[in-house]
Amino acid sequence: MTASVPVVAGTRRRRRSSHHSVDLGPVGIVLSVVGLLFLGLPVAALLVRAVLGEQLLATASSKAVVDALILSLFTTLCSLVLIVVFGTPLALLLARRSFRGKWLADVLVDLPMILPPTVAGLALLLAFGVRGTLGTPLDALGFRIPFTTLAVVLAQTFVAAPLYIRSLRAGFASIDRTVEEAAQVDGASRLQLLTRVTLPLATPAVGAGLALAWARALGEFGATIMFAGNIEGRTQTLPLVVYSKFQTSLDASVAAAAVLVMAAFGVLVAVRLTRWRAGVDGRGMV
Amino acid sequence: MNDWSRRAWSVTTGLALAVSLVAGGSLALAQSPAGSIAAGPSPAPTCTPLPPLADATASAASPGASPVVLTNLTVFAAASLNQPFSVMSQSWAAQHPGSELTFSFDASSALRAQIEEGAPADVFASADTRNPQALIDECLAPAPMVVFAANHLIIVVPTANPAGITSPADLATAGVRIVAAGDAVPITRYAEQLISNIAAQPGAPAGYADAIQANIVSREDNVSAVLAKVALGEGDAGIVYVSDATGADGVTAIPVPDDVNVLATYGAVEVATTSTPATSAAFLAYLMGAEGQAILAQYGFLPAQ
Repeated sequence: MTASVPVVAGTRRRRRSSHHSVDLGPVGIVLSVVGLLFLGLPVAALLVRAVLGEQLLATASSKAVVDALILSLFTTLCSLVLIVVFGTPLALLLARRSFRGKWLADVLVDLPMILPPTVAGLALLLAFGVRGTLGTPLDALGFRIPFTTLAVVLAQTFVAAPLYIRSLRAGFASIDRTVEEAAQVDGASRLQLLTRVTLPLATPAVGAGLALAWARALGEFGATIMFAGNIEGRTQTLPLVVYSKFQTSLDASVAAAAVLVMAAFGVLVAVRLTRWRAGVDGRGMV
Repeated sequence: MNDWSRRAWSVTTGLALAVSLVAGGSLALAQSPAGSIAAGPSPAPTCTPLPPLADATASAASPGASPVVLTNLTVFAAASLNQPFSVMSQSWAAQHPGSELTFSFDASSALRAQIEEGAPADVFASADTRNPQALIDECLAPAPMVVFAANHLIIVVPTANPAGITSPADLATAGVRIVAAGDAVPITRYAEQLISNIAAQPGAPAGYADAIQANIVSREDNVSAVLAKVALGEGDAGIVYVSDATGADGVTAIPVPDDVNVLATYGAVEVATTSTPATSAAFLAYLMGAEGQAILAQYGFLPAQ
């Protein structure tokens, strides 16, 4: 995923003039075109199939796909709320304070991004499953998390939170501290400083982080199927429909996949727009 | 700066203390009797008693009995049951207002593992009797098991039949790409039985089983995935249930002689943690009833026994 690219607020990559492209020979150009075709062809094939599929409209509006779409929107929204509530202070902590064992906190935040999602799912099951570390006492109290909609939310939060936290951490780190110090000198309280100065300055990083985290949560498959199962209407999100319907109805699978492609595409465009606007705004600030 | 780091350090220490407390507490709970209800297999006599299935079935099925309140039901079902169960869910909902069926279809072995990890299934319908029996043995399902259907095996090839397969013997031809399912999936055990039946026949090709083993190019998650891969032409042949091949697009069925074929028996159980024993029992009764059996037959299933 392109998601690992850190988003730095307040900076804008200066576009090189086209004269520099002379350093690319004909071989280089051919290789680039082949590379681009390789990246583009599968998505194009999927979209073409989605457009040409005879029963596509019928399957796209079928109960399984609509249920999964609603479930995906609901669970990713819940995940984003969790990510913002817990991730924002964590990003501020990691960006601003130095403490013993900070390297470990940094690694823990980055780890879910590197972990194979199935490993994340297994780890979640071992922690929150009925025989898990936290799951066993919870089960005794009558709470069962695995294979529920809540498990879907937790799986998405686990894999998507790093994207938001990393984006925000970089955003906070790039803020000119003298602006905050000036506000402090002017008598701003800690809360005022955060809500009036720091967070507004980090808005582009927040936006980009949210978009990337949402896309990752929406596309979550491996951890979800391990930890939340594949129950129609309850834990079967859009990526799981792509997988399940592939076995029984290819058209429904393609329809769900096309929705996901368009969502991913939309997120990348949104991130580009955010960065572009950040560049325009940032010039005046820094 | 120094003040910050000192404060952060105390926060970290506090967090570490809290985490170790939680971990310690959960360990203590795990060892207490309350925490061990669902933990691991235990000897059969210690199973928590549930309302006897036969009584519940009778009261739910007989129209004269006091009305049973039915609720929504989560059914974990073998991948091969996808089509008939999807049809049943419509007629079920029409006949039982207030009760809708929710499904999770996958390999029976995968579903059993999920139930063992606490998945909220009410009924488990398996493509074999081994997986439901395992749940009964682990106290995760009350006996008895309901054997509700049977199935024979068949070979499917893509409609174009690129490898020119006309009989089970052709599966052993070098270069035939066979799509199979994973080791734990019921279809794999039945298919292996079928292959050894063929290999044991007089005049069977030498090294038949080994040649087939060598031709397997993929191990899919469940039998539906095997069928889908063959229909897409990603494999030359696969062994599936007769019911899977019934009405399937993109494949041609190559029959297997009766004298070597394997009979797969499908067992269903109520799951011990079900919140709706009455509805679970009613569904099992429906499955065994005239309508359930007719829908199963329509999709190529055989009656039990």
